[in-house]
Amino acid sequence: MKWLRLSAYLVGIGCSLLAAWWLFPGKTTEAGVTAPPSRKWVPSLSETEEFCRFDHPEWRRAQTIEGVEIAADPECRPDNPYLVAAVVKGTNRVTMPTLMKTRLAMDAVVKENDRDGDGDPDVIHIRLEVGELNGSTPDGDFLIPGYRIAPGLTPGLWVFVPKMRGMATVDAVNLDAAPLLRAPSPPIRVEQGDTVYLTLENTHYLPHTIHLHGVDHPYRQADGQGNDGVPITSEKPLLPGERRTYMIQPRRAGTMLYHCHVQTDKHMLMGLQGLFIVEENRPDNWLQTFNVGGGKVRHPSRAVREKYDQEYDLHYQSLDKERYRPIQEYNDPRLVAKGMNRDYDITDNEEDFFLLNGRAFPYTLRDSLIVVEPEQKILLRVVNGHPHSLGLHLHGHKATAIAADGVPLAQPVTRDVHALAPAQRLDLVLDTHDDGLHSFGQGVWLMHDHAEKSVTSDGVGPGGDIGMVVYRQYLGDDGIPKLQGMDLTPFFNLGMFRKQIPVWARSEAWEIFSDTGPLPPDTLRVILSGISLGLALGLTWACWRRGRQPS
Amino acid sequence: MIRPVLLILFLWLPVAAFPGHRMDMDSMVMNENPTRLPQGCAGIAGDRTITVRAGRKYAKPFPGVVFAYDRRSWEVAPCTRLTVRFINEDHIRHQFMVHGLPPDLYPMGMFTIEVSGPGEETASFILPPYKKTYLVHCDIAQHTEHGMKAQLKVAGGDGDLASLPGLTKPVRPDRYPTRWTGRSLLLLALALIAGAALVWLGRWLIRAMTEDQP
Repeated sequence: MKWLRLSAYLVGIGCSLLAAWWLFPGKTTEAGVTAPPSRKWVPSLSETEEFCRFDHPEWRRAQTIEGVEIAADPECRPDNPYLVAAVVKGTNRVTMPTLMKTRLAMDAVVKENDRDGDGDPDVIHIRLEVGELNGSTPDGDFLIPGYRIAPGLTPGLWVFVPKMRGMATVDAVNLDAAPLLRAPSPPIRVEQGDTVYLTLENTHYLPHTIHLHGVDHPYRQADGQGNDGVPITSEKPLLPGERRTYMIQPRRAGTMLYHCHVQTDKHMLMGLQGLFIVEENRPDNWLQTFNVGGGKVRHPSRAVREKYDQEYDLHYQSLDKERYRPIQEYNDPRLVAKGMNRDYDITDNEEDFFLLNGRAFPYTLRDSLIVVEPEQKILLRVVNGHPHSLGLHLHGHKATAIAADGVPLAQPVTRDVHALAPAQRLDLVLDTHDDGLHSFGQGVWLMHDHAEKSVTSDGVGPGGDIGMVVYRQYLGDDGIPKLQGMDLTPFFNLGMFRKQIPVWARSEAWEIFSDTGPLPPDTLRVILSGISLGLALGLTWACWRRGRQPS
Repeated sequence: MIRPVLLILFLWLPVAAFPGHRMDMDSMVMNENPTRLPQGCAGIAGDRTITVRAGRKYAKPFPGVVFAYDRRSWEVAPCTRLTVRFINEDHIRHQFMVHGLPPDLYPMGMFTIEVSGPGEETASFILPPYKKTYLVHCDIAQHTEHGMKAQLKVAGGDGDLASLPGLTKPVRPDRYPTRWTGRSLLLLALALIAGAALVWLGRWLIRAMTEDQP
């Protein structure tokens, strides 16, 4: 009898608990007649950046520095004109006050020896270092030197950087990377026939090399040193603290590439890749050896000036959170090496961030706009630095591909989506004559990879590699495009790409598109689950009391 | 006659424009100060020269460190004129950069020697009279984080900096895989026996205290 009673109690308690669990309100609640109101998002000013704040608006105008003509660049954040002058003249030839405004080392670009007497130097010595952006530190929970690709986004990156002097950060207080230390690795320009010495000074804590992809170069140098930059064939990886000089005398002009060939699936895709452009030989042809920044070439070569009104370098690349995770998690290079080389598996992962000239939307609107006038011809040198294909689409235009991988195309191709295989380069001509084919007229026209994930940042869009072709009349004097679409303020908030803000939060109809407010739990479920739980507790108490009574 | 004057003017102008600053292909010095006294110093208390060597080879004694100085800590007396002979033994840039100096004498509170590759540079600066520990490091991207960090203590300093190879613990140390060794297993076994013995001892003590004496 005793066991029968106990069993009845246990069954009763179990059923009550089961009913309470089943009836308890869930994570979501069904709406009644009226859905809950919208949750209005009000941006915090401290968390939202200005569209364009720039300390040197005078850099935008056309100017001549030390005899070097520098084209206007009216966008928000143009490239440093003093840096342009320094790399055109050579850091060994420019005056100290100009050099001091660049952070370049005095031997970053050494130009000398006009061998053919045509008015420009023919022996060029270029020095590159390797920089890490947003790496970890043993001194606290922050990343150094800091580099944002978009508001609130600080992925780990490696870049080749012109040899610098001084600090890697802005200063001793501001731990953001110095302006020279940024993505992408800078496009390098040399002249056809020049003798070019390219020295890699490995300032990084892991081994690297330089492979001159598509550039005319001998496999070995006269002294037997490898010259192809490939650790499994031509040479050993260059260890930290060491330097190696590659020598070339390129016979063919064209748009090429340089990249690290150590653990290419990691190092190249971490950002150690850049355009390498061999310009046609011309007299008095002083080249902008480095094009650090947003892509506009502010001092194009003679040959480019003969044929085009403007020239831009467009570098598309992408980043994988899993790939760069070790450099933000560990300080010990052995843990970084293991994390990257053995734990990370590129075949299991997808890219998360997509960059145009080192930034993602909306930062691309600050320094990577293509600003045009009607009836211009503009040369775009495009490289696909992704590990996957790229379909470059220009709104309002059909650009013409005239060369691929540095080789002129027998039959130029005019279309509005240009496909680029990984590592491929295309020379595109953007013609702004309003003829219904090459251009549909003036405006602010989008330009992006039409593989749709590329226009997101970690899945939040619009983001990624969105750029714009902006006709001059659609650009304000402050470098901000005159847009008439949605309010872009939320995209400059630090929470946008961390998925904390509704994408259409500032839409005129925010009450339709914003986040919903919560609902209270269903009343009947609250009551019934409460009763069930109470029943279970009561039965437990009764069972305990019964058990204590003498039989 | 005019050309030498112009040449001298051309060479002098940068020096005048950036006092305490010199730079050439091989090295750079910023905020050198061998003469001006920091506030609170009645005079130069003394001259001292240190030789600092920098390079990958000095990191070898410390696992997980890539770049280092040959020493990570120096002590000097207040108001010392310190001459630093900085020798770079790598084929890349390295710096000897001091932070926290009085900004009226040292812009941004810094004194810097940078050597572009294998070679050396020497420069001097005068230390303030206060008891303080100054950060010394190489500010090339990730060099500090990978070991090229030291401290300069004046009057004994006001503490030790973190993450100095072989001297102090990092603020955010890495975590490494755990592997049990014979010694750690033996320690665990002894600890188990000790725990059991503590129980027995406790019971014995309680019994001894509560039982009536015969």
